[in-house]
Amino acid sequence: MAKYGMIVDIKKCIGCNACTIACKVEHNTPNEMHYTQVLEHETGEFPNAKRTFLPALCNHCENPPCVPVCPTKASYTREDGIVLIDHDRCIGCGACILACPYDQRARVEDDRTVFHDGETVFVNNANAAPPKGVAAKCDFCYHRVDQGDVPACVETCPTTARIFGEWEGAEKPLRELAAEYDAEGLLPEKGTEPNVLYIE
Amino acid sequence: MYSEKIEQNGGTLTSTPTVCLGCYNCCGVKVQTVNDKVVDVIGDKEAINSRGYICAKGRARFLDLYDPTRVLYPMKRGNPEKGIGIDPQWQRITWDEAFDTIIPKLKAVREKDPRGLVIAHFDLPGYGISKTFGAAFETNNFHWNRADYCGAAPHWAHLMTNASFNGELDFDQCKFMVLWGTQLGHLAETIPLHTAAEMAEARRQGTKLVVIDPFCTNPAAKADQWIPIKPGTDGAMALAMLNYMINDLGIYDREFLTRRTNSIYLIKPDGHYLRDAATNKPMVWDRTSRSAHPFNAEELTDPALEGAFEIDGVVCQTAFNALKEHLKQFDMASASEITTVPVEIMQTLTREFAEAAQIGATIGVDGELLPFRPAAIHFKRGSGAHKSGALGSFSIHLLNIMVGNLDVPGGQRGVNPIGPFWEPDVDEDGMIVVAQHIAKYSKPYPAQKAKIPESLDLHELLPASLFTRGLYPMGIDNPEKFGLTYKPEVLLIGRTNPMMNSHNAEAMAETLKKFDMQISFATFIDETAEFADILLPDAHDFERWDLFPANDPYAFIAPGPGQWYWHMRQPSLEAPGETRAWTEVYIDIAERLGILEKFNELGEAGWGIAEKHKLDRSKRHSVKEIAERQAKSLIGDDFTFEDVKDTSCLITREKTTAEAYPGGFVEGRMPVYLEHLIDAGEDLKTVIDELGLEWDFRPYHPLVSHIHCDEHDHADNDYDLLIVNFKVPFQTQTISQQNIWLDEVSRANPYTFNVMMHPSAAARKGLDDGDRVLVQSHHGQDEGTLKVTEIIHPECLGIPATLGHWARNLHVAAKKGTSFNTLLPPPNIKRIDTLSGQIDTCVRVKVSKLSGGRSDG
Repeated sequence: MAKYGMIVDIKKCIGCNACTIACKVEHNTPNEMHYTQVLEHETGEFPNAKRTFLPALCNHCENPPCVPVCPTKASYTREDGIVLIDHDRCIGCGACILACPYDQRARVEDDRTVFHDGETVFVNNANAAPPKGVAAKCDFCYHRVDQGDVPACVETCPTTARIFGEWEGAEKPLRELAAEYDAEGLLPEKGTEPNVLYIE
Repeated sequence: MYSEKIEQNGGTLTSTPTVCLGCYNCCGVKVQTVNDKVVDVIGDKEAINSRGYICAKGRARFLDLYDPTRVLYPMKRGNPEKGIGIDPQWQRITWDEAFDTIIPKLKAVREKDPRGLVIAHFDLPGYGISKTFGAAFETNNFHWNRADYCGAAPHWAHLMTNASFNGELDFDQCKFMVLWGTQLGHLAETIPLHTAAEMAEARRQGTKLVVIDPFCTNPAAKADQWIPIKPGTDGAMALAMLNYMINDLGIYDREFLTRRTNSIYLIKPDGHYLRDAATNKPMVWDRTSRSAHPFNAEELTDPALEGAFEIDGVVCQTAFNALKEHLKQFDMASASEITTVPVEIMQTLTREFAEAAQIGATIGVDGELLPFRPAAIHFKRGSGAHKSGALGSFSIHLLNIMVGNLDVPGGQRGVNPIGPFWEPDVDEDGMIVVAQHIAKYSKPYPAQKAKIPESLDLHELLPASLFTRGLYPMGIDNPEKFGLTYKPEVLLIGRTNPMMNSHNAEAMAETLKKFDMQISFATFIDETAEFADILLPDAHDFERWDLFPANDPYAFIAPGPGQWYWHMRQPSLEAPGETRAWTEVYIDIAERLGILEKFNELGEAGWGIAEKHKLDRSKRHSVKEIAERQAKSLIGDDFTFEDVKDTSCLITREKTTAEAYPGGFVEGRMPVYLEHLIDAGEDLKTVIDELGLEWDFRPYHPLVSHIHCDEHDHADNDYDLLIVNFKVPFQTQTISQQNIWLDEVSRANPYTFNVMMHPSAAARKGLDDGDRVLVQSHHGQDEGTLKVTEIIHPECLGIPATLGHWARNLHVAAKKGTSFNTLLPPPNIKRIDTLSGQIDTCVRVKVSKLSGGRSDG
């Protein structure tokens, strides 16, 4: 079966965080919870200092450290390579959160989107929020992918800095793009073989 | 969004195409509602402005609809005392009670002197209503907002040359881009989604990007080269670059300067054009006949671009010659001292830019051979919001003009100088004059006659400007000083927040208190609404119709090749509680004042309604009804609302080559020598003398110069940093900070809610990263959290815009970030560009550690 992946074009990302909010709305994630965010870094000294943007999300690793540590088999990899959490099985033990070297999993402490008064709750009757007490993370918008669509962050990105697709076989396989621009995964020393690669 | 799942949950998905009003731009979006509740907003793939993309602000802002602090009912003030931090003690009233208070007061003002009514908002698609209402009421004070904040000077430079309000770049073909004090293409400027997509693709394709800015903004982060500059010195750098390019490198587009500028016009020793005695036309020197002729004379075959010539015993030089000689005083070493930019960097930039422009190159477009200039500079507020705003912007733009890149493939471009029903004029002197459709306010050229002010924005004292909206506080505070014969009495305000967007809040509070009655439209009770006597609940833009097109004026149609398109804003859901669209309330007020017929009559003229669709002038038409007639007039008689069921974007036709690349087609000349400013200055001087005012006439000079910002010259050891501000791509103006999602993103960002200081300055002051600090100028103060960083100019303190709310109801926004504007003084002669009306934002501050400071923010 075709495997999915994402290439993030660091050269194109302008740090606008449209992806962050698109993901937030798509998954109805509660307050303070994000499945993707743009991380910022500074290097060098004035006037040659550099500022960089790094969109971060679950890497949907080929060798995901989060899956084998799960005592309830809630974390699993689909045939198409998407790493998911079955929230019905998850007991919120946090083993996967500790295992992820990319810091891309978190426990849902409150499953609501609550306004500042602490009382008014925004109820999204389209998308159910992840339930309280489980681990949650980017799911590559599998519900969209299953319908032939791309993840919400990909569709939204104003600079097309996120490219989603199949590694092999597709009309424009990601593998070719990865080779053309020497795509690299994050933390290669961890041996996770991520399906999210970055190009510059 | 996946409709099957929604249906499983017992809901029905409705998708309404409309236009986002999350900032002043007009991006096509689709509002997704389930059971009359908005659950998402997505980009409209058929909308050319946005191409299906959407920014963080546009996606997040539907939460504002459901914020518990939203204003849902009319209210009146219970506490007569007004001030910062004072509880207005709101009391709920009915709409009838509100009208019973408002109408008699407005009637009285209208009888006494209608100019006592001041209208303020920054809701662009609503201008058609408020401007018409203002005209029917007979006040000329109907445009108070801060549109001048970013653009009084840069717009001036674009109007004078491109005959366009805004500037842009030909992303598709440009190979060397310079952003000078702007974040174009990074979701913080005009047509943001279109420009972001094109800019990123251009960079990916290898276009070089240079960004000149005191702070390493998002575009500077993406640039091949970031050039940090001391704020307010941009003009000095541009002048030195011009000198180097013209006098040292000898690179300039002789053909373009001869054909499209007044470079060849002969200048007399008194600075004026040499004019033909018979026709009064400016004269040029013909090298073939060795004699002077009117610029448009048929016998003219070889006009001289350079040189001085004796004509009837008087030595005249070409305008270009005058400029070229004038520029020799602006050497690189002195500019480096002023700007802090090393000589070598300025020289390299000049050389690379000039060479990349490929002067002389051509390209075929649809059978036309056009100049090809793939290098361009774009400038905006960062370089423009200074004492030398207009001439500084113009100096930068002269670099574009010298390589002939205006409105041609690869170059700098104005935003649609030619449109389907507008085009620039050419005046008697052969100079380009912006189309009336574009210069809806006033044209900077030709200059108006100066006179004693009749408007509170003192526009009559800036006769060669576009608009002077930032000067309203000067007129409101001291009408007598400027010869105004009436006083401001009623403020009708909404969707603009002068308490935060102008200058020191205490000073603005005194300005607002000058009004007998303040009527505020509000969705949230912001800092300005806290001063209202009557508070009217405003609909969200997802709950209202607007005049058509919602992307009026022309500025929100992507320039360059493409199509002409027009957006319809339409409601996605009912307005809650007793909220109503402010535009409809204006029409109600017109009706109750008995000026509805006049409003309709004036509206018909201004709204582009064709004869056969004209209004019944005695009837109250809704905004929707007016929009329908406008759409039938613009799109065609067969327009129906069915046409905007799937997209808000209506396309009429492809652009012609001349509309896409006007540079090769328009005939009017642009100035390199601002001859008209001599007479404008002399004319103005008589009025200024009559009023006994101090004034700065230095900008009224035909040749470009750099004027220091006032606070640059102060030697002050404590106040040793200049503040500089910039936008972040996930907040906009003062309106987005109450959104809990944008707040989350902002808190996670290293800069948004902090003030930025270079390590060398922090060490000098004994300050550490994370310290709570007090930021004090000579005009105001605010607190902040310090971020010590290498990405800020060592002489600056960086403060993101526009933050630091304090309104008692803005629980999310309040006390987040630092207010840049409250550190500025109210506008005064020393701090305004007396040519464009742009307000200087250079202010010195001292920064000290707060002991036991707040833990929030």
